[in-house]
Amino acid sequence: MYEIRFHGRGGQGAVMAAQTLADAAVRIGFQAQAFPYFGAERRGAPVEAYARIDTAKIRTKSQVYRPHLVVIMDASLLELEGPASGLRPDGKVVMNVAQRPEELDLGAGVDAECGTVDASSIALETLKMPVVNTAMLGAVAKVWNVVPLDAILEAIEDRFGGKLGRRAGMLNAEAARRAYEATVVGRTQGKREYVQPKRWLPVWDEIPIGVSLRKTAHVEEEVGPATTYQHHTGRWKWSTPLYKKDKCIRCLRCWWSCPDAAIVRQDDDYMRWDLEYCKGCGICADICPVEAIDMLQGARGTWQ
Amino acid sequence: MTRMTSMKDVPREDMLTHGHGACPGCGYAATAKNIAKMLGPNTVVYVPASCLVVFGALYPYSSWKTPYMFTAFENTGAVTTGIKAALRRRHLDATVVGMAGDGGTFDIGLQALSGAAERNEDVIYVCLDNEAFMNTGIQRSSATPFGAWTTTTPVGLEVKGNRRFKKDIARIVADHDVPYVATLSVAHFTDFVRKVQKAKEVRGFRFLHCLTPCIPGWRIEPSKGVSINRLAVDTGMWTLYEVENGVPKVTYKPKAMTPVTEYLKLQGRFKHMSEADVRQLQAWLCAKWRAHYGEEAPSPPCVMPGHEEVLAHDGDPLYGI
Ligand SMILES: Cc1ncc(C[n+]2csc(CCOP(=O)(O)OP(=O)(O)O)c2C)c(N)n1
Ligand code: SF4
Ligand code: SF4
Ligand code: SF4
Repeated sequence: MYEIRFHGRGGQGAVMAAQTLADAAVRIGFQAQAFPYFGAERRGAPVEAYARIDTAKIRTKSQVYRPHLVVIMDASLLELEGPASGLRPDGKVVMNVAQRPEELDLGAGVDAECGTVDASSIALETLKMPVVNTAMLGAVAKVWNVVPLDAILEAIEDRFGGKLGRRAGMLNAEAARRAYEATVVGRTQGKREYVQPKRWLPVWDEIPIGVSLRKTAHVEEEVGPATTYQHHTGRWKWSTPLYKKDKCIRCLRCWWSCPDAAIVRQDDDYMRWDLEYCKGCGICADICPVEAIDMLQGARGTWQ
Repeated sequence: MTRMTSMKDVPREDMLTHGHGACPGCGYAATAKNIAKMLGPNTVVYVPASCLVVFGALYPYSSWKTPYMFTAFENTGAVTTGIKAALRRRHLDATVVGMAGDGGTFDIGLQALSGAAERNEDVIYVCLDNEAFMNTGIQRSSATPFGAWTTTTPVGLEVKGNRRFKKDIARIVADHDVPYVATLSVAHFTDFVRKVQKAKEVRGFRFLHCLTPCIPGWRIEPSKGVSINRLAVDTGMWTLYEVENGVPKVTYKPKAMTPVTEYLKLQGRFKHMSEADVRQLQAWLCAKWRAHYGEEAPSPPCVMPGHEEVLAHDGDPLYGI
């Protein structure tokens, strides 16, 4: 049995990718299953999806903990936890990143065959949107020879074509084909140690009354009734606001409208950006009456 | 504590803090954040099943700095009543607020809401209206506007999108003769601040109905959440008013009525709408406009889009996801 784990972000299509890969496997005579991690994911939040492929009927229903193949659809996910955790010794990795496999660090102990491809650029060029799932499947075909490209392309055309129209099916297959050509295969050897948060899971009468929140709790310290301060949601972002203080007329609109409370109003009513939490939605730039905020491509910085 | 009359007076400290898991650009989060901030630390918050429950407090994490509770979907009215009774019994004075979605208010929570309103319980009920059951993947509610696509009002060959018009929940609550009912938009800052301040002061049952754009549900650009709220008011899709002790008053009137197509074309959920449907919606809006503003609307400036392309949101970033 082969087990595959997809790591993506809400909106990148990890779930569809898992389904399409399973679909392609069935087309060439395998049995397969595909399902997402059941959580409360929102657009931009880290998500996982799984697929299993076997020649015999699959009875396992758990999540995938020891994958043969890991597909990482967003490079920034490496900052969150080790997405390659549990990878089997002979396991393989496919990652959406412009670098070569040798330049990656997927965490101490990970020594694996790896394919890298700049799927985001391919998706933007072919589909005109940053949905990388089909491009990533093209890269999978290059790195992992269990399900061949032809079956994957067929599954993409049927699945996406059926849902979004024939043209969408063809464009998505085109994205996969281009990614197949562009994928660089090599080896990655990880060195970085990931810190495991300490877990404190209290019983009900240990929970502070009313509030399940300790303001002082910090990342990597503990998990338990705790604050979402520990979630650096700023790592979700694709674009970053740039504040031009000299233009600001202190109207407070950006501060008011930011859904993530990432804009801090200072004593003099000028703003400060807490980019650890800014999700890069661009509302502040949209609402600013004097264009004191620019949105820059990509995630950057922590404080401004 | 000084009365808050404009954004400048709103405290700096957040009660719904960052790190929460809402989608980038979520109007729901911005609205809840601002209300929580204005109500301040001496508040108990109740949230039923909704987006706010999952993005704001998934055990073991919480984004709330105030005491917070949730139980089931249908009983915001009943639970906030219970919390207030418990506080009263302990001689504690705190604001009790329930923040529910439109599904949890218009539909599934309606009887508990009506009960609490009828008993004039001393609580604030906030309805965060994103016009569908969003948390479970965009199903129609009775707050969904005419024409909108949802997963339960799909776009087919015969029927395209939702065929019912939005229920007027604020009027239904006001008809319970409660002391204060108001409609809010996060893009109308001063009006928003004034109304929350009023709700904070008044005793008895208070109802705040907020329009809160939803990025995937409305199929909009994340950066447009707040400005779309402004358009909702300018087109008449949303009216800003309050009912204080039975007396209704419009609190903001747009200078002129913007054709509804300006609102529709920014949102993927409307992009299939036919000319006839847009005309029907515009006619409904004109009637609503007259009912609220009490005068002839400028003759409906319905610039009708003839076909799909006109309404289609340019390169809808969420298309097909
Ligand atoms: C009795 C009951 N039925 C169904 C559900 C599943 N459920 C959880 S959240 C939700 C949708 C909530 O919609 P709404 O109140 O509009 O809030 P939103 O998700 O839009 O924030 C549903 C159906 C539930 N929790 N309880
Ligand atoms: S882009 Fe602006 S509004 Fe959006 S989360 Fe970042 S700071 Fe807040
Ligand atoms: S919206 Fe623009 S002008 Fe207003 S406070 Fe923010 S940066 Fe300054
Ligand atoms: S689904 Fe809509 S309401 Fe829910 S968190 Fe996302 S944007 Fe906000």
